[in-house]
Amino acid sequence: MNFDALIIGGGIHGSATAYHLANAGIKALVLEKDYVGRHASGVNAGGVRLLGRDLAEVPLSKEAMTRWQTLDQELDTDTGFRRRSLINIAIDDADMGKISSRINQLAELGYDHEVQINQQELRERLPHVAPNCVGGVVSEQDGYAIPYKATSAYRLAAERAGVVFHEGESVQSLRQIGDNWQVKTDKATYDAGILINCSGAWADKTAVLMGDNVPLSHSAPMLMITTRMPHFAGPVVGAISRQLSFKQFENGTVLIGGGAKGFADRDNNRTTLDYKKLALAAETTKTFFPIMKKAVINRMWAGLEAYMPDNLPVIGAGVNARNAYHAFGFSAHGFQLGPVVGDVITQLITTGKTSFDLNSFRIDRFERKVL
Amino acid sequence: MTEIFDLAIIGAGPGGMSAALQAAEFGASVVVLDRKATPGGQIYRDVTQSPLLDPSVLGVEYTEGAELVNAFLEADIDRHQNADVWHIGENGEVLYSQDNQTHRLVARELIISPGAMERPFPIAGWHLPGVMTAGSAQVMLKSDGMVKDGAIFAGTGPLLYLIVAQYLRLGVTVNAVVDTTPAGGVGRALQHLGGALSKPAYLIKGLKLLNEIRKAGVPVFRHASELSVLGESKAVGLQFKQDGRTHSVNADHIFLHQGVIPNLNMTRALGMDHHWSEQQLCWTPTLDDWGQSSIPHIAVVGDAAGIQGAEAARHAGRLAALQVMHKLGKMDKADLKSMSVNHLKAMNSFKAFRRFLDAYYAPPTQQRIPTQNSTLVCRCEEQTVGQLRAGFEQGAKDPNALKALTRCGMGPCQGRQCGHTVSELLADWQSKPVSEVGYYRLRSPQKLLSIEELSHFQEVQPAPKPAEVSA
Repeated sequence: MNFDALIIGGGIHGSATAYHLANAGIKALVLEKDYVGRHASGVNAGGVRLLGRDLAEVPLSKEAMTRWQTLDQELDTDTGFRRRSLINIAIDDADMGKISSRINQLAELGYDHEVQINQQELRERLPHVAPNCVGGVVSEQDGYAIPYKATSAYRLAAERAGVVFHEGESVQSLRQIGDNWQVKTDKATYDAGILINCSGAWADKTAVLMGDNVPLSHSAPMLMITTRMPHFAGPVVGAISRQLSFKQFENGTVLIGGGAKGFADRDNNRTTLDYKKLALAAETTKTFFPIMKKAVINRMWAGLEAYMPDNLPVIGAGVNARNAYHAFGFSAHGFQLGPVVGDVITQLITTGKTSFDLNSFRIDRFERKVL
Repeated sequence: MTEIFDLAIIGAGPGGMSAALQAAEFGASVVVLDRKATPGGQIYRDVTQSPLLDPSVLGVEYTEGAELVNAFLEADIDRHQNADVWHIGENGEVLYSQDNQTHRLVARELIISPGAMERPFPIAGWHLPGVMTAGSAQVMLKSDGMVKDGAIFAGTGPLLYLIVAQYLRLGVTVNAVVDTTPAGGVGRALQHLGGALSKPAYLIKGLKLLNEIRKAGVPVFRHASELSVLGESKAVGLQFKQDGRTHSVNADHIFLHQGVIPNLNMTRALGMDHHWSEQQLCWTPTLDDWGQSSIPHIAVVGDAAGIQGAEAARHAGRLAALQVMHKLGKMDKADLKSMSVNHLKAMNSFKAFRRFLDAYYAPPTQQRIPTQNSTLVCRCEEQTVGQLRAGFEQGAKDPNALKALTRCGMGPCQGRQCGHTVSELLADWQSKPVSEVGYYRLRSPQKLLSIEELSHFQEVQPAPKPAEVSA
């Protein structure tokens, strides 16, 4: 079968790329070895965060954030996005100092989306915060979305635009013959002019088949969610110097993250949890928010996520093959970038360039370094 | 250093207690964790301290449990009641809540016996106040001596008739029994008649129950179909069809029951292999004759291993413990074989009997796979057939995808109530066998767990055996 473009991986980036390609008149096939949104894109914390982004990511993240505000209308499906603001809490003067210097740094680059708040304002925004918290930093446009819904919204919009999704089909081999890619799966063989690697925690394997080596690793960031609680927190909450992260959804459930990692068994699509670390996350949460002592945990889980050594993604053209592109390695913060990355890849394919500086995201950026 | 138990057993029902007694006879260090205040499981719940003046009205199948419970209480076994297991690791680690704290222990081998639960009965109005499962009504009777006058019992299966009979013996009135067992039960079950005849005592017991109900003068509507609970904000009656005619009976309490199925939350969270049993129309862990699961050091016994009843669970518990003793080097293969032979024989005869019961009381498709869009499937998250259908049409073809899109199965019961219905609905919509559709991926904790409990950890170690102390 012939397609203009073949995308490997049905996560949010694969689905969004397919959507943008289709809108540009490029007929795409998405191959997903499990089902769309099965891994990190479906089970992440749903954070839509501009606050605290690496400087290299800020332009992309800002553009993505603008798009999130109207994404439901654009895709004509509910992504679960809610603009709630995000506050990172400071517990001492050192934290407040970090906030000030970061804000100065952003100001020099012309950005003003992070704003410092004092203790009184912190308390107004988060009345249940522990008394020893002294202030924080807020980004107003931030919020959350429902990961599986958002990924699924892209898939549905892409399908309406003519994209074909094949689930439960895994790539066995890739070959570039002339200008074309020949892709063999466990079910069929396809020909496509363009190949795009959006395979998340498996992206290094796909990259190798495309001729690009990349020092990708994978892990299992853990989450837990409570049963419904009385409403006590509007904003999404993080901390400057502690592993704290939580958000209360509209139905009252509270999702607790914080970056603690479990164990990833990528070959078997499995993760196992590290309960001692989750116990620590529970401890941290109730220290910052004493009301959480009463919280009851309903479920704990981990997703399989890809990490780059510098925690920055790979976005851009392949270096050792023609008509090859990559978008992966988002290091546990790629969900928010979904609405922009697919468009950037589409711009690269259709015009050969993009207005964003992608130098920090080159796949070969580590080839010159000793790791 | 962590001391390691030879064997940890989860659940002190007939299966778990029998396994513990068998292992204790070999001098193994055994710990039993049970979530209830007293051992006995659902079947022998509170048998040694019944709130009833005369517990014998509950029947001999209940009171005969006292002997097993007493033997269990007297044996050299580490027993922990009110211990709610919420995680089992592949490394033999068991995490449980007790006294508002998380406790941790480690065992070389595990036998788990999480028991059965009632099959979901997803009909219109089953979520309304006043509607309960017949099993819950029995729990209230056994543990608190509480009953409800003038209720309707609806559904099928031996447990339903037993509870009706228990009610009647206590002088409680019953408005009606609406029996959904489809006509032609004997025809369906005929090929398994040999199995039925192997347990004449059970057959007679069953017939006696039916006779008891008939004699009491309770209206019994046989071969009823198309059940729906009447009422807007609470149940006021039950409507159904019989012989082509629509009936409705008033009652503010309706007790539903259409058989029991294995309680899967623990076996699923462990990632054990399961299969769909066409005979019992439910998911069942895949086990060998000794109860050994696909996870090398974990066996499953009792009704969680497939519905066989309390007496079979006793044999299954003994079998699993014997194999564990062999694995721990406490007996050789020849002894395992000779000690197992009678239990294996007994299990086969129970299985043959069960084939008859399962065929006779097969819950009708119509009462398992709801078709009306307004019928609730997931009670925790209030998801209806129509909402699930919409999620399915948006591309969620797998129970996990459907869960992520609709929140079905994400509530506090973690899909216990809706899991089987969702598997069967997705299979029906795709004209696929249920086995291909699969089930929810379950997560820890296997019970609700407070942040306080999680943040406090304590290690539990085996007590030194007297023999080891003197040596």
